[in-house]
Amino acid sequence: MTSVLGHLTGLDFESAYRGWGSCPPGFLFEAPVLDEVGKEKRAIAENIQEQAKYSKGLLIWTDCDREGEHIGREVRHQARKGNPRIQTKRAKFSNTERAHVLRAAIEPIELDERQANAVAARIELDLRIGAAFTRLQSLQLQPLTPILTNKTISYGSCQFPTLGFVVERYLRVKRFKPEKFWGIKVMHLRDGIKVNFLWNRVHLFDRAAVIIMLERCLTAKQAKITKVNQKPTSKWRPLPLTTVDLQMMGSRYLRMDGKTVMEAAEKLYTKGFISYPRTETDQFDKAIDLKKLIEKQLPDNNWGGYAQGLLNGNFRTPRSGRHNDQAHPPIHPICWVSPTELNANEKKVYEFVVRRFLACCSEDAKGQTTEVEIQYGDEMFHANGLIVLERNYLDVYVYDKWESSQQLPNFQMGELFEPTEARIFDGKTTPPNYLTEPELIGLMDANGIGTDATMAEHIAKVKDREYVATVSRRSGRSSVQELIPTRLGIALVEGYDNVVVGLPDSPSLSKPFLRKEMELRMRDICAGTKTKQQVVHESLEMYREVFIHTQRRIEMLKSACRKYIVEQADS
Amino acid sequence: MTTLQDQLSATLFQTKQLPVSRAWLSTFLTTSTSNRQIPLPALTQTALFRILNSDIRETLSTINPTSLLPRNITDPNTKETRLQGPIPLQVLDIEDIGSSLWSQVEAIERVERGEAVRGREIVRTVNVEGREEGLNGNNNGSGGNATGGPHRLTFQDAAGNRVVGIELHRIKEIGIGKLSIGAKVVVGNAVVARGVVLLTPDCARVLGGKIEAMDRVWKEGRKMRLKARVEEMESGELGINRNRNGDPMEE
Repeated sequence: MTSVLGHLTGLDFESAYRGWGSCPPGFLFEAPVLDEVGKEKRAIAENIQEQAKYSKGLLIWTDCDREGEHIGREVRHQARKGNPRIQTKRAKFSNTERAHVLRAAIEPIELDERQANAVAARIELDLRIGAAFTRLQSLQLQPLTPILTNKTISYGSCQFPTLGFVVERYLRVKRFKPEKFWGIKVMHLRDGIKVNFLWNRVHLFDRAAVIIMLERCLTAKQAKITKVNQKPTSKWRPLPLTTVDLQMMGSRYLRMDGKTVMEAAEKLYTKGFISYPRTETDQFDKAIDLKKLIEKQLPDNNWGGYAQGLLNGNFRTPRSGRHNDQAHPPIHPICWVSPTELNANEKKVYEFVVRRFLACCSEDAKGQTTEVEIQYGDEMFHANGLIVLERNYLDVYVYDKWESSQQLPNFQMGELFEPTEARIFDGKTTPPNYLTEPELIGLMDANGIGTDATMAEHIAKVKDREYVATVSRRSGRSSVQELIPTRLGIALVEGYDNVVVGLPDSPSLSKPFLRKEMELRMRDICAGTKTKQQVVHESLEMYREVFIHTQRRIEMLKSACRKYIVEQADS
Repeated sequence: MTTLQDQLSATLFQTKQLPVSRAWLSTFLTTSTSNRQIPLPALTQTALFRILNSDIRETLSTINPTSLLPRNITDPNTKETRLQGPIPLQVLDIEDIGSSLWSQVEAIERVERGEAVRGREIVRTVNVEGREEGLNGNNNGSGGNATGGPHRLTFQDAAGNRVVGIELHRIKEIGIGKLSIGAKVVVGNAVVARGVVLLTPDCARVLGGKIEAMDRVWKEGRKMRLKARVEEMESGELGINRNRNGDPMEE
């Protein structure tokens, strides 16, 4: 039994092409590449060769996802070097429960070559495209200003769309123009309760129209109750936890960025406190014994009592989401750990994972809504009331808020009454906020940028490269971290957008489209409809076209940099 | 026996409430029936199609005052009056007063970039075949998906009189990108409040059609007009005095 630490080998260009001045950057689309064991991994590789010499078989237990498949193949490659006749199998497992692990050991399967090929394709594409554009833009932009002279202006096919989202929102905020709007407010006093009826049209941007509508309300004098609806309602308990959700919630409620959340989760996983934190699955396998996992939480001072309640009959089977990566279960606690054994970040993440898990196994919160609708003149208004009857999961999932509102007095269907007050109000539109990290993760997820495992790294990368900075909005407990592009960040996005202006079928590198297409091709490899060679070739062609445009219109990129960095720095 | 011209005229008035100009109709008949005999229903369809795509100041009769807007209809001092009609009108301008001008500018720009938003996802709408389309891309108004409304419309009758209407209740044919400039709407038995016609499905019958030249100019200039109005507001005049005569289609 031995172990590895991530990928064993790394892909790089042959030494003749490694120097930045060794060849024109465009050559890197086809320059020869080598797959080599990294210096720091050499001991691991040698260990596997050595161990293989004395073994008949090799059983691979890497994570059951694409990367794991590729790492498994690297391990096999090293093992065969030590012993060409070694038999290789891989264990298929998605959690570390005893029974499940035993079964995986008894029924090993073959390595999935397709998934490993998809990863190999991704690695080669990232290397070639990343290196070609990084060299091109660094070499061209560095001489423009001393600010850039010693800077590596890196390009990555995920990094740039990530930056693109931040810049797009920033420019929307900057360009925003506030506008005035008007609306009608109706208030009725009954049983000592002031009931505010909201206009179904919310507000309009035409004052004259609103005045006419209000006048017709007032002329009508009486309003009529057109709907009184009382119905039970519930607030659903959350879905089982995925990585994307953990990162989004983490930055929203735990005040940690995605990368920090993942680092803490990673540590909790290696110590055996929580399950594997990289998963897209939001449904629990039927075979998993949830009650046993709940039982583990009984010793806790904060939620132990709640867990006991679940075991005493409050337990509900979790809702199932629509995602299943077939590799890992939703993130859940494996066993209880005393808070004193964890550092501050780990404690927060662990607590979140546990509370979320217990919430999943709870009953939805129950309440009752009352909806009253009135017709007044030609206009419709409504008022809603909510009474929370049973908090259920909300008691443990402190991150969700659901509270009773003002109670509505009695209204009868068809009843006529003269509202106490009806008047016009005005307001102004407000700009959107700058992008926050949870929003950015949501955008990346929806647009196929990065995987659940890499999104946080891409965000950290654009910060490291000083394309994006974080700034606090408000202070104290209600502060929110917002992402704002630097001048260099804006210049790169504007430059690349200008490069493709007027070209009918060349989307900008700041947009997610090219990367998304590449991602779809990776799936084709996994599905067996395309080979690695085909995909590498097609994707390279796609990016090479943009590369040629960029070279030809490099002036666009330069002038954007001059505009934002040189000139604005001078002023 | 009635003449062909009378028959056509009667059919168009009875089915579509369109009082067709005699002069126009006789020119129409001489040009379209000169060669061969066309059955009446087909001829009616052709005439209707021409009218819907014409300027009604040229094609409709102004003889009967009941099919024209009354002179004092736009008087803001009249709290409420009723428009008998039916009066055929053509659309000169349409605005979405339920959305901010800026959000409409943003939507137009998204279409210009060949993007659409689906929830959080950004989708490319550029046709991959790269069909020939002018560089300024005939950006179909706001890209087909009609806006939320309610809408404020400027109408014109056959004599050139104008009136503003507000979509008080949703009318499904009304929308930016759906209803063209020059489209014909017949209004009858409608409430007019403070000089504004309150449009509902009961009192406004949308016949459709357009005036191609005006529609094109309107679409091409829409973003500019929206931006100009936003800027006008910014410079202090918060868009209160644009409500009357706010019609950009001034010839």
